[in-house]
Amino acid sequence: MLTRIAGGRVVDPGSKRDAVGDVWMRDGRIVAPPPAGTRPDEIYDAAGKIVMAGAIDIHSHIAGATVNTARLLLPETRRGSAARPAQTPLATAGWSTFETGCRYAAMGFTMAVEPAVAPHYALHAHLELADIPIIDKATLAVLGNDDFLLGLMRAGEGPDAVRDYVAWTLETSRALGIKVVNAGGAAAFKANVRAFSLDDVVPGYGVSSRAIVKTLQRAVHALGVPHPLHVHCNNLGLAGNAETALATIAAAEDLPLHLAHLQFYGYGKEGERGFSSAAARIAEAVNAARNVTVDVGQVMFGPTVTISSDVLRQFNARGQAHPNKWMIFDGDANGWGIVPYEYRADNFYNAVQWAVGLELFLLIEDPARVFFTTDHPNGAPFTAYPEIFALLMSRELRAQWIATLPPAAMAVTTLPSIRREYTLGEIATMTRTAPARLFGLKDRGHLGAGAVADVAVYSDEADRARMFRAAALVFKDGELVVRDGKVVRHRWGRALAVQPGHDRAIDRRLQDYYDERYGLAHDFMHVPAAAIGRPDPFEPVSCAR
Amino acid sequence: MGHAWIDGRSVELQAACAEAARLLGASRLPVIAGLGTDIGGARAAIFLARRLDAAVDHMHADVLLHDLDVVRDAGMMVTTPTEARVRADVLLLAGPLAADAWPGLATGTADGRDRQIVWLCPGRARRGARGAKVQIIGRDADDLPAIIAALRAAVARRPVGALPVAAKALAAAATQLQSARFGVAIWSAAALDALTIEMLCGLVKDLNATTRFSGLPVPPGDNALGVLQACGWMTGFPPRTGFGRGIAEHDPWRFDAHRLVESGEADCVLWISAYRPAAPPWTRDLPTIALTGDGAGFHRRPRVHVAVGRPGIDHDATEHVAAAGTLAWVAAAAPRDTISVADVLAGIAAALPGTPPC
Repeated sequence: MLTRIAGGRVVDPGSKRDAVGDVWMRDGRIVAPPPAGTRPDEIYDAAGKIVMAGAIDIHSHIAGATVNTARLLLPETRRGSAARPAQTPLATAGWSTFETGCRYAAMGFTMAVEPAVAPHYALHAHLELADIPIIDKATLAVLGNDDFLLGLMRAGEGPDAVRDYVAWTLETSRALGIKVVNAGGAAAFKANVRAFSLDDVVPGYGVSSRAIVKTLQRAVHALGVPHPLHVHCNNLGLAGNAETALATIAAAEDLPLHLAHLQFYGYGKEGERGFSSAAARIAEAVNAARNVTVDVGQVMFGPTVTISSDVLRQFNARGQAHPNKWMIFDGDANGWGIVPYEYRADNFYNAVQWAVGLELFLLIEDPARVFFTTDHPNGAPFTAYPEIFALLMSRELRAQWIATLPPAAMAVTTLPSIRREYTLGEIATMTRTAPARLFGLKDRGHLGAGAVADVAVYSDEADRARMFRAAALVFKDGELVVRDGKVVRHRWGRALAVQPGHDRAIDRRLQDYYDERYGLAHDFMHVPAAAIGRPDPFEPVSCAR
Repeated sequence: MGHAWIDGRSVELQAACAEAARLLGASRLPVIAGLGTDIGGARAAIFLARRLDAAVDHMHADVLLHDLDVVRDAGMMVTTPTEARVRADVLLLAGPLAADAWPGLATGTADGRDRQIVWLCPGRARRGARGAKVQIIGRDADDLPAIIAALRAAVARRPVGALPVAAKALAAAATQLQSARFGVAIWSAAALDALTIEMLCGLVKDLNATTRFSGLPVPPGDNALGVLQACGWMTGFPPRTGFGRGIAEHDPWRFDAHRLVESGEADCVLWISAYRPAAPPWTRDLPTIALTGDGAGFHRRPRVHVAVGRPGIDHDATEHVAAAGTLAWVAAAAPRDTISVADVLAGIAAALPGTPPC
């Protein structure tokens, strides 16, 4: 079937296109315009509208044992048994898998990446992802606090063993990349360490956090995995932790590295309260390090819940739980912690955090290296994205917000002085073109011929938040799934994963390791397609860079 | 091959599904209960419940909710059975069923350290830790809440009043817990009420002021934890959730299947027990569709009965594997030509009028 989206302003940085024109789709793919006079089977009028590729969220905690623990911890986020206060955590966010898919689709997103899957819980995560309708999904597998890797490093084994282990983990977990969360910090917490930095050494293993990051960065690169190592740094949330971020950026050296939710590391120690924005310094370092990409983890005001595999940080943050309840999961490798939290506009520290995120967005010059996240739901639920797009696109709107926030907080940031406004093209780069490149997805994130026909059409409204909240039309694989912000068609997406290949010896070695250490067959970690219960649940992504 | 009956008469599976769909479709408030099934069965049951505006409950929801009440009132620190096996140098067992956490609980840690065990109120169950160095405190399960509270007070160096056990033993136990490198408190919610669990979990949190300690609830059977997870991601809630008002609502009292049936609010039951041939516990007569293993002894013969395979034994299944502490794919141990719960529910769904949204 041939479909024409007619007469919209096509904003597609991937094909260097920003002009009024048509987009053509056939059988789930974008196609070149057919010869003049060809009659399409369907025409959608996009006159006066903005046409973009479907958006891709690179870092959003939407599925798996961590997220499900948060659901069970916070039943008051939904209609429940007890009377609830009007403002409860995540009141605005979808909380079942089905709502998650529908709400993403309504905003014109067609793919999201769950960034923290412990290999022991990979099947659980994929079962949840399979029940998220419409959008495509992927996972990042978490390594770097696991006894097996730290044991290889302690024993001084060479890069081959690590590389095979990383490849085995990617394939077994059906992941698109590797993430390291507070490298070594969770392992140190097992030994009752309560603070852990880049050059601290994990007790019992004799390896530093820096060495773990470098070892994994090299292994991921050597395997040809398109997505560079995804790093959640040490010292998240602490005053003065900009030094940790700067040291980690420097540690990237000449290889690619992705730093997650950088806002949470953008803090100096200036000012009366010893807490200030260091975003300008960090942005300068990012601008200079061409091999480094970052995402922001923007904070927005309101109740939410923090979900993190940084079990040490979550344990240390337990006193800030609001409401006053929290879960710490002492897992086999990283574990995780769930701490509900409320960001308040009248709170000095929260206002600084809000400003730091926007400063990073606005001071990092290349929109292809700074990615749009709230670290959902850690900074804010993903449903807050439209408001953030609006803030990036209007300094006047930012000034209105700044006027309502504590002046002392704004005084320790550079945000009030920043005049930059994102263009639609830059928004499209940050949320479409660049995310697809970051994961090596050649047929996504753009509207060139051959691309997957994931298309979002927005009404070109002055109120950008309103525009991005409810797409006029969304197509997934060429099929109309959303009209006027409402889901009109449910379908099931796929999970994208790399298969870098590995020496089979590592499989036997892990079999022995699990037998001996846990008395378990290691194949409990496998994610067979048959377990998902839907046709073609996975889509392979090539490792050839 | 499937075995299906209507009113005790052997029928083709398709006829049984059609009759089940007719009964469920005509019901004002159907309840899907038992729910002893694998993840595939649970997902199919919850999809079906949403379509029928039904309520869903699990046969072990009472036990699950003892733990969940603590989670959602106060939170918890928990660990995995694998982590406890490998690293715990001190175990604090609470109540008679705590030694069921894993076989050979008393053997040492992976790095060769001995394991010390403090067991509160084991009742007659202490043989579960035979051979280990076990310090027993209290015996009667009735004393457990007071003893845990006293132990927590002793750890916090607060005064303790009259006790059913010797103060010296209590003080020694408190010292032992505090000197753990990684201690794990183990309990079964089948034997403890929510307040006792909350006190125990409070003790665990307090111990983390100076050392590392975590908790480990022993899961009930019949894939209760697996069904809990699937219900969580599909509805946002644990079992005892209803769709009657068009959205998922969770209410441990309102959607208790036993109460719904005995009060007459529910007018049709879909009962599922695939792991073993358990029958519904109630005696009231109402139209019942039962999916069970062979040999269930029903109080009243169900209108529709389908004999289903045992997940992970007769057919491949995804389920919560207690030893791994996670959901896993389990290949059939002794594959047999049986039908799964998911397949029967698909047959019922296909026989319902209308089309589902997904």
